[in-house]
Amino acid sequence: MNTIAQIALTVLMFGSLFSVLTLSLNLQYARGGMINFGTVAYFAAGAYAYAIVTQEPPHGLDQYLVGLNAPWWAGFIAAGFAAMAFAFLTGWPTLRLRGEYLALTTFAFAEMLNSLLVNERGIGNGTVGLANVERPDAAILGLSENLVYAGAAFLLMLATAYAFGRLLASPYGRAVDAIRDDEVAAEAIGKDVARLRFQVFVISSIPIGFAGALYAMITTLVNPDLFSAEVTFFVWIALVLGGERTILGAVVGTMALVGFQEVIRAIPFESVRAAEIAAAAEDIVTGALFIVILRWQPFAALARRRHSA
Amino acid sequence: MKSTVSIKGVLLKSTLLAGALAVSTASARADVTIGVLVPLTGELGEFGKIVAGAVELGVAEVNAAGGTKCGNLRTVVADTGGNPEVGIREATKMIESEGAVAVVGPTSGVMVALVDLAKRTKTVIMSPYAGTITLNELGGDYVYRTVSSDLGDGAASGLWLTDQGYKRVAFMVQNEESTISPAQVARDKLETSGIELTDYVVYNPGQPSYQAELVSVLANEPDAIYLAGGQQSGVTVIKEATAGGFEGEWLFTADLAVPEVFDAVGAQYLNGRAYVEFADADSSLPEFKAFDALYQEKTGGEPGPFAANSFDMANLIALSLESAESCTGEGINSVIRDVADGGEAVSSFAAGKEAIGAGKDINLEGASGPLAFDASGTPAGAYSIQQAKDGKWENVKFYPASAFE
Repeated sequence: MNTIAQIALTVLMFGSLFSVLTLSLNLQYARGGMINFGTVAYFAAGAYAYAIVTQEPPHGLDQYLVGLNAPWWAGFIAAGFAAMAFAFLTGWPTLRLRGEYLALTTFAFAEMLNSLLVNERGIGNGTVGLANVERPDAAILGLSENLVYAGAAFLLMLATAYAFGRLLASPYGRAVDAIRDDEVAAEAIGKDVARLRFQVFVISSIPIGFAGALYAMITTLVNPDLFSAEVTFFVWIALVLGGERTILGAVVGTMALVGFQEVIRAIPFESVRAAEIAAAAEDIVTGALFIVILRWQPFAALARRRHSA
Repeated sequence: MKSTVSIKGVLLKSTLLAGALAVSTASARADVTIGVLVPLTGELGEFGKIVAGAVELGVAEVNAAGGTKCGNLRTVVADTGGNPEVGIREATKMIESEGAVAVVGPTSGVMVALVDLAKRTKTVIMSPYAGTITLNELGGDYVYRTVSSDLGDGAASGLWLTDQGYKRVAFMVQNEESTISPAQVARDKLETSGIELTDYVVYNPGQPSYQAELVSVLANEPDAIYLAGGQQSGVTVIKEATAGGFEGEWLFTADLAVPEVFDAVGAQYLNGRAYVEFADADSSLPEFKAFDALYQEKTGGEPGPFAANSFDMANLIALSLESAESCTGEGINSVIRDVADGGEAVSSFAAGKEAIGAGKDINLEGASGPLAFDASGTPAGAYSIQQAKDGKWENVKFYPASAFE
């Protein structure tokens, strides 16, 4: 496979996967008005649930307590439930908060989960993590594994975009918009603000759990390092790049962000010195690109044009 | 209008760049590509640079000796920052786009994440420093390392703490796999030796201070503190323990076996009372002496930690290519165990190539020591203890693999 095709496949795989997170954040923040700075926690809940359900029971030096050795589809379903359950747990006490208070609380919950995964080794082997995570054999389809997993991520993204699109285009979606625009007015016409906000929060977390399961299949590894706050910031940056409130914007922003990372790393360096210089310059180049994009917002403009068309 | 023109310009340039990339990739196909996947940035960046440099030196020697029968070796270097996801992306690119037959240099977390990819794509992956115990189970087929398991580090540390005659020892262990696993083995050794373990503290990295963890440790006045920590957290712990009045001795693990620790802490606080343990080559072996001389001649400096193990990876892969029936990862995997064990002893690529050409089986004696792989693709380990003297680490004790039998 040539370099360009490989880059395109990687962008499709990871771009689609993280687009699911951005779409969920778009629903929570841009449409529901809830600032969630703990997106990674629902992603981690899904990934860990998938790994625990599909992992063999502990043996040897393993320190995790439960491994159900169930098939991949059981783990995938469990991942959605785990993210939903975590959204219940965190949404119930926090959603009465607004703005930056909600942002800080969700961030704290995500850090708590990360700390729990690091220190309670019975959950997922602590910092060692769960390795060699089970994944369905893509070879039976006669295609390369990368192509199959990129396709799976793309399908998950399409399904999420379709479901959220239908939801937001319905009267329910208009009620969500009404609450974001003016809570008092929405309440005055009989909308149950607390219940709607809670529902949106929980519904939007389910695809994040599925994305977590798919991520665990792709990396075949779950450990706390993979689920740091960086993932949350990545998704927020993608949402800002693509422009808020449109589904296309969320997807384009995420694809563009993953694309930048891949293009910057596309040159095959044949010497250590060249690779060292490139590694050091990568953050500078990325930062400069962000400034340019945020100044002219080409992706947001594109998404808005398509939206209004 | 203006923006349309500029977008077209960018598109044109992108296309030209992409075309140039494709051409450069195609033209390099005559050689055999080896991916060098190391952390050049992040906490393990210093080690990554040493590893990549030593692999580069090994590859240069192979090519200077006429290359393998499959052609000259070509390296493609990429930075992982120690992140497994980046590791998967970069390794996939190396294998799928660059045609790499082997990927060398990943750290423990990246190595574990690459196991599935290696077996699926039939590409050999090899690490000179991934001591993770997870590979004790997953390694062996397409997955190799030229360093022993972390459990061996723990055994060596336990042996040293016992040999020193300490009566009371405290453990400060960073909450990471690479530090907890050896610490557990070292603790078992202390218990069987009758040494009192005054504290066993597991701390999380990234904290601005470790004074809370040190309160109990210092109050119990141990003879020595075993500090299994990373460079960032380790330096903070050492500074705060020193400020808190600790006057005993230290035993550090491999992450602190770098000269930078003297600048960060202050050499006067370490000289004469700090030791460091790490998996190491036997410096008395002629193979190591030859490597040491070559390294100094080519780079002007002394080889750092894991440099010999990294140099061995390049030779192992080159000689495997030389004796394999096909110039692929599958070919390397089918012969690599035979190259590392059981024939005429050779210590360089040139000598090995000559012996293979004469139809002999070879046994590559590495610069880091014997490379015979066990079932998990791991060689038996040897370990060095160095002492801080005059702002430098100096060898004081070497434990060969036979010390643990």
